[in-house]
Amino acid sequence: MWLLRNLADGLRTLFRKKQAEREMDAELRDYLEAAVKEKVRLGMNPEEALRAARVEMGSMEAVKEGIRAAGWESTLEAVWQDLRYAVRMLRKNRGFTAVAVLTLALGIGANTAIFSLIDAVMLRMLPVQRPDELLLSRRYNPRWGGEAEPIFTNALWEQVRDQQDVFSGAFAWGADRLDLAQGGAVHLADTLWVSGGFFNALGLRPAAGRLIAASDDRRGCPAVAVLSYDFWQDRYGDANSAIGTMLLLNDHPFEVIGVAPSGFFGMNVGQKFDVAAPICSTAIIDGKESRLDHRSWWWLSVAGRLKPGISRSQLAARLRILSPGIFTAALPQNWSADGQRNFIKQTLVADSAATGISSLRRQFDQPLQVLMGVVGLVLLIACANIASLMLARAAARHKEIAVRQALGASRLRLIRQLLTECLLLSSGGALLGILFARWGIALLVRFISTARNAVFLDLSFDGRVLGFTAAIAALTAILFGLLPALRSTRVSLTSAMKGSQAIENEHRTRFHSRKWIVASQVALSLVLLVAAGLLLRSFAKLATVDIGFDRNNVLLVGADLKTAKIPPDEQLVTYEQIESRLTALPGVTSVGRSVMTPLSGGTWNNTIHTEWSKAVTGDDALTWFNYVSPGFFDALRMTLLAGREFNTGDTKTSPAVAVVNRTLAHRFFPGLNPIGKTFRIDDVAGKQGPPIEVVGIIKDAKYASLREDIHPTAFFPATQVAEHAEAETFELRTGMPPSALARPVQAAVASVNKEIPLEFHTLVELANDSMVQERLLALLSGFFGALALLLAMVGLYGTLSYLVNRRQTEFGVRMALGAQRGSILRLVMRDVMAVLAGGAVVGVGISLAATRLLQQMLFGLGPRDVVTMIAAVALLSVVALLAGYLPARRATKVDPMVALRYE
Amino acid sequence: MSDKPSGLVQGTLDMLILKTLALEPLHGYGIALRIEQISKGVFHVNPGSLFPAFRRLERAGWIKPEWKPTENNRRAKYYLLTARGHSKLKSETREWGKQTAAIARILEAS
Repeated sequence: MWLLRNLADGLRTLFRKKQAEREMDAELRDYLEAAVKEKVRLGMNPEEALRAARVEMGSMEAVKEGIRAAGWESTLEAVWQDLRYAVRMLRKNRGFTAVAVLTLALGIGANTAIFSLIDAVMLRMLPVQRPDELLLSRRYNPRWGGEAEPIFTNALWEQVRDQQDVFSGAFAWGADRLDLAQGGAVHLADTLWVSGGFFNALGLRPAAGRLIAASDDRRGCPAVAVLSYDFWQDRYGDANSAIGTMLLLNDHPFEVIGVAPSGFFGMNVGQKFDVAAPICSTAIIDGKESRLDHRSWWWLSVAGRLKPGISRSQLAARLRILSPGIFTAALPQNWSADGQRNFIKQTLVADSAATGISSLRRQFDQPLQVLMGVVGLVLLIACANIASLMLARAAARHKEIAVRQALGASRLRLIRQLLTECLLLSSGGALLGILFARWGIALLVRFISTARNAVFLDLSFDGRVLGFTAAIAALTAILFGLLPALRSTRVSLTSAMKGSQAIENEHRTRFHSRKWIVASQVALSLVLLVAAGLLLRSFAKLATVDIGFDRNNVLLVGADLKTAKIPPDEQLVTYEQIESRLTALPGVTSVGRSVMTPLSGGTWNNTIHTEWSKAVTGDDALTWFNYVSPGFFDALRMTLLAGREFNTGDTKTSPAVAVVNRTLAHRFFPGLNPIGKTFRIDDVAGKQGPPIEVVGIIKDAKYASLREDIHPTAFFPATQVAEHAEAETFELRTGMPPSALARPVQAAVASVNKEIPLEFHTLVELANDSMVQERLLALLSGFFGALALLLAMVGLYGTLSYLVNRRQTEFGVRMALGAQRGSILRLVMRDVMAVLAGGAVVGVGISLAATRLLQQMLFGLGPRDVVTMIAAVALLSVVALLAGYLPARRATKVDPMVALRYE
Repeated sequence: MSDKPSGLVQGTLDMLILKTLALEPLHGYGIALRIEQISKGVFHVNPGSLFPAFRRLERAGWIKPEWKPTENNRRAKYYLLTARGHSKLKSETREWGKQTAAIARILEAS
């Protein structure tokens, strides 16, 4: 109550100022009158009494000031005054204000953008009910070590679901991509296979229709689907009539039963889903070999909501007890005895799933931290620039500050006033920066999206991001404002009043602090340049690394015969038929096909052995496989080193043969000619496979990604593929831009079978996609490195120009006394060199210490790469000398007569 | 600027004002006069500290201003003690008693 009253009184004083002042006057007058009356009563004559009372009262204004200061509103009023004054000062210096706000906006905007990406990828809670209660299950095997795996088979999930008693709602999901088109170019829908309890456990309500419930998820279930809100909007225009219609997924009809709430994108941060369907309905898509029963098909994530009253340690203990039963019941029967023993030794562990799961985290954790550091440095450099400008302005406001101090303003009050200006500047910068960030972050997400994997993130700025922006805005204001404020309020009044000559000394110390600022800018920007140089060179090395084949002008056409419902025994013929049709297309130079697509990120591997490689075991014996048609090596322009490629004589029934890469030849046939020798694949059950004869050796080439070390790789004829590969990729070497061939290829495939879904990519696209991280880092660090360099040079230029102006008289005198232009130039450039050398030495030191953080991100060069270091120092020196030379040359143009006339 | 009341222990002015007002509502000079009279001239409070104290106490909700007509028919600002002010005065008095007793004991100890 009294608080309210306090507030009301304060506000009244603020907004009805006149009346409040009148009342105050009246009260004081009454006091005076009463005092006079009392004194007269005690025997003084009226005149004396009045004088005595006035003396007692002292200055009426001082008393009033005392009263005003007793209420909170006076602080507010002072702040308001400061603000108004600050606005006036900033408006008077529009050029300065614009430069400062723009510089800050760039710095703060960059920080906001990177931080909001970190927020969206790492920190944000899922948009579901009470996300902090969600726990993600993982499998941990002490024998295997490493991190616990968060991925499950359906058999395991069913056991967890039926045996666990610690979660109030356990649920599972797996991501997939299914085709919406019926044959021809694919139109993939991001599909989420969800368990019956998924939506319920997350506490989600349908936007329309109903969501998948427990009763929808049982073996042999009918095909039903829930649409995501966005997909519903895009495809059906949020019409309720969508409910009950049929949606074709991989050519199987699914009945649309409802729409998920808006904003819900699934459990995987960085992805979205278009369609969700019950896990049981995978059987409809999979057909004979269903992932529901395949015990080494790892495709599900499992999570749950902890039952109330169970502590985390109780949960862990309970899961340990339940684990043997669960893993024994879901044992993959075809594994080797050793593998099975290890399988059963696993235990379930659970940790928080409040922020969902994300493959982006592992991929971009380090790059984002590096970028955060980079933009942090940029902001520091920007701060230094503005601090430098503020110091110059402080010099110009020297008189004003002195006068205000002489009139009784306390130093604290003046500092507060100056800092208010800084806060205003940084707030302006922050507001504009948020705009920059909005635009920048959309660009960033486009950078990290790939042709096959569009990144979807909720990029709305939440409280955390805005808080971060506000905090750095306040911090920057103090950073660039405090030193100038302290310096400029430390004026000696007498010297200020005396005039220019006496001020000179103070200017000198002020210039010293500016020199420090510029030197630190040089140091910081050198660090950024070195980092940018390393990342750019690393990217260039990766982009030009010899990948073992020619990535240009190759169109990749993925064809899925299973979805087209072509029976397995007809598939080989169909593939060969398509291959010959494609070869005949005009513009196509050669055609090959393979089970694994090069550089797609997918791998197929197993251990092999030969009689000469008994010592090669474990991971060293792991060999990467691919099944390819005879045209494959030619289409990719891979170089055969010895022996032969595949030909039409390699059929299903002919002896098993392989073409191996150089690495495999060296590892498994040390010092021997492998041609004609054999190796065997270790079967999953630990049995030996049949002998496979090596018929050719091919040059080493990348398999899954550009960054990998070369793996031992074996190619087998596509005709001899053991299991049926129901989707294969055609590689078309073209004599024209590959994308132009998409239409003729569709027509050619349709002439064989209209139902076959086709996915188009180019090899260059896949190669680029595997450099996303490196490209992002190189581009951004390059951009910010250049920005830092620019800012530092503007700082250097500004500081030197200021120095030259201040020393104009001195130069004039020197020239009048016979100094040559060269010696004046040297005089100025000596300062530049000192600043440059100091900054560079410190910068190199910091770089040597800091770039170690980049180690893991670099490809083909070390973090202390000498060439990069020298190049960065050289670039910085050239630009710094140029920035210094311009004002220095102006110094030599001083006309002695003009300069001397000022004295 | 010496706005400390002469010879007044710091922080006690508020308590004295509250005590003065506990008897009856008074205007500014009345309060100053009453304090001087009761203390037999030991404490002399000047307006420079009195009026800011009024504002402070008012904002704390311990006293409340009231405009009343005076003898010569003008309106003057009187202050009166609120219920919060009463309890504040009580607790302050108790605290003061404890402190002076303690100080007295220390001074008499030697």
